[in-house]
Amino acid sequence: MGVLDLARTQFAVTGSIHFLFVVLTLGLAPIIAIMHTRHAVTGRPEHERATRFWGQIYVTNYALGIFTGLVMEFQFGLSWSGLSEYAGDVFGAPLAIETLGAFFIESTFLGLWIFGWNRLNRWAHLACIWMVTLTAYVSAFWIMAANSFLQNPVGAVERGGRLVLTDFGALLSNPALVNSLPHVVGAGLWAAGSVVMGASAYQLFRRTPEREFFTSALRTGLLVAFCGSLVTVAFGYAQFGSIGLYQPDKFRVPLAGVALAAMMGIGQLVQFLLLLLAPLTYWLPRWRWAQPLLVILTPAPFLAAICGWLAREVGRQPWLINGRLTVADAMSHGLTPGMVTVSLVGFTGVLGLLAVTDYLLIAGTVRRGPGTVALGAEDEPTPAVLEHALSH
Amino acid sequence: MDVLWLGVLALLLIGYFALEGFDIGLGMLLPVLGRTQRDRDTIVSAMAPFVLANEVWLVAVAGVLFGAFPEVEGRVLYGLYPLVVTLLISWILRDAGLWFRRRLDGAGWRAAWDWAVCAGSYGLALSWGMILASIAQGLPESPSPLAGIACVAVVAGAFAFHGWTFASWALPGRVTGRSRRGGALLVSACAAALPAAVPLAALAPWLLEHAAPEGTLGVLSLIIAPLTPVMAGAQVWTWRTFGPKRAAGRLPSFF
Repeated sequence: MGVLDLARTQFAVTGSIHFLFVVLTLGLAPIIAIMHTRHAVTGRPEHERATRFWGQIYVTNYALGIFTGLVMEFQFGLSWSGLSEYAGDVFGAPLAIETLGAFFIESTFLGLWIFGWNRLNRWAHLACIWMVTLTAYVSAFWIMAANSFLQNPVGAVERGGRLVLTDFGALLSNPALVNSLPHVVGAGLWAAGSVVMGASAYQLFRRTPEREFFTSALRTGLLVAFCGSLVTVAFGYAQFGSIGLYQPDKFRVPLAGVALAAMMGIGQLVQFLLLLLAPLTYWLPRWRWAQPLLVILTPAPFLAAICGWLAREVGRQPWLINGRLTVADAMSHGLTPGMVTVSLVGFTGVLGLLAVTDYLLIAGTVRRGPGTVALGAEDEPTPAVLEHALSH
Repeated sequence: MDVLWLGVLALLLIGYFALEGFDIGLGMLLPVLGRTQRDRDTIVSAMAPFVLANEVWLVAVAGVLFGAFPEVEGRVLYGLYPLVVTLLISWILRDAGLWFRRRLDGAGWRAAWDWAVCAGSYGLALSWGMILASIAQGLPESPSPLAGIACVAVVAGAFAFHGWTFASWALPGRVTGRSRRGGALLVSACAAALPAAVPLAALAPWLLEHAAPEGTLGVLSLIIAPLTPVMAGAQVWTWRTFGPKRAAGRLPSFF
């Protein structure tokens, strides 16, 4: 494998792992925020338990989104410095705005939410998870705006061998963005609904003592997944018209065509099943035969999401910026196969192991159920308090 | 406008060293200050609520480099390739240790991830020392190893001092056996930030020459300026919520 293929593989592998975790983060955030709102408004313990249980799954998943995101952000400069040299004045802007105006705020409020249980005022604590949710979607907007520029470089002209920003508004109303952003948002809700549904079905199949908890969660998950699938598929088809204008041959690239077909096949099949199951939502938690099916369906939206990214990214080859800059020209000058091999092995080895560990931890959280959740646990009594209690 | 964004870059990088410096320092000192598992849990729980708010300053540095100094971003990151890779892997290892150490019961599991926190923190200090040394010499092909070693020693020492001071402030009289006030923490923060401030000052004229055009910087300013109160507010709120009087060192903590 040449140095270019190695560098591309590194970006594809880290990007794919990143998106597996980020798509769930994006979809779970509003679900957790709504659960927390019900807890804050009603004060009922079942809503607090739901917020903490699904919240722990959410933050455990979040960790890998951060780790992979760090590598993604720095990889632009490490392997693709030709991109910032040629188009940094345009492409860098949405990425800079994402880190400062979205992720900086998101990360700080996530810390306040995780560690603010039993510390912050009820409404202040609730505001934290809503800020995390809002900034997660703002973040998705800027990242998709940056990616859409690579698909269809609008709002910029070439001057002196570099791209110069001429129309920022065009960047934000890019035809490559307007339908793909809701497509990704829908996919996030689909994935999150699927996880909530699958985890609940697993618990019910094991005849959980938390029957009520998972009955209600299974219904929520199924409906969120179904609504997500409607948005995803509608805005998936809506993209064909505009793609025909700026990348007419996109899906003739063999791998992109296969990935597109796989995504659509998985998506249509699972959506059809959800369509059949949605009217049965009320009864479904009681039907034992259906529970293994729901568990098996859980990974489907994740597979489809990865195929979707492959189709979108591979279909642009050999261009990094469509029609402007090739992937080969964007690669850092002087990059050697040795350098990329070492970092490829390091990044994929570490991130791959951590990703597997993280999924096992999430599975463990699901298996243990809402009884033993660390997120939001009360403080241990200090020795002085214990002594006081014992003397009575 | 370019001067303004140079100021933003400097503030973020110096802020990263002043804030994340104590997390890295405490990670390095974890086996020394935390002889027992309970002591290590107390130390981690004191720094835990700050980590997400601290490390994000470096994410923002990379973002501002890309948006406001794109030519510099490629040249610096590529020029420091092996060091940036080491920095990233160390950072991920340290973070994984924090996120995972309490996710399973069992003494072996937690102790193993505590070692990951410690090793990752040493890796971070080492990479930063080498990176700053290389930047101070103008990114040469083969930087002087002596300067590298000296810089690593200074950075690691400053981080460890900052971490020790933070522990004495957040957990007075507990793990270090000493108490420090907010003023001492401010001094140690300056000590941790100084190794970054010096090469940055030397680099300032070169950075200004390679800033993005006014049009790009104008768009960035227009969008980011209204958000700065939220960014600063959340940081201040973190410190007010998790200071020693309110929350530090409580067990169990999520990390």
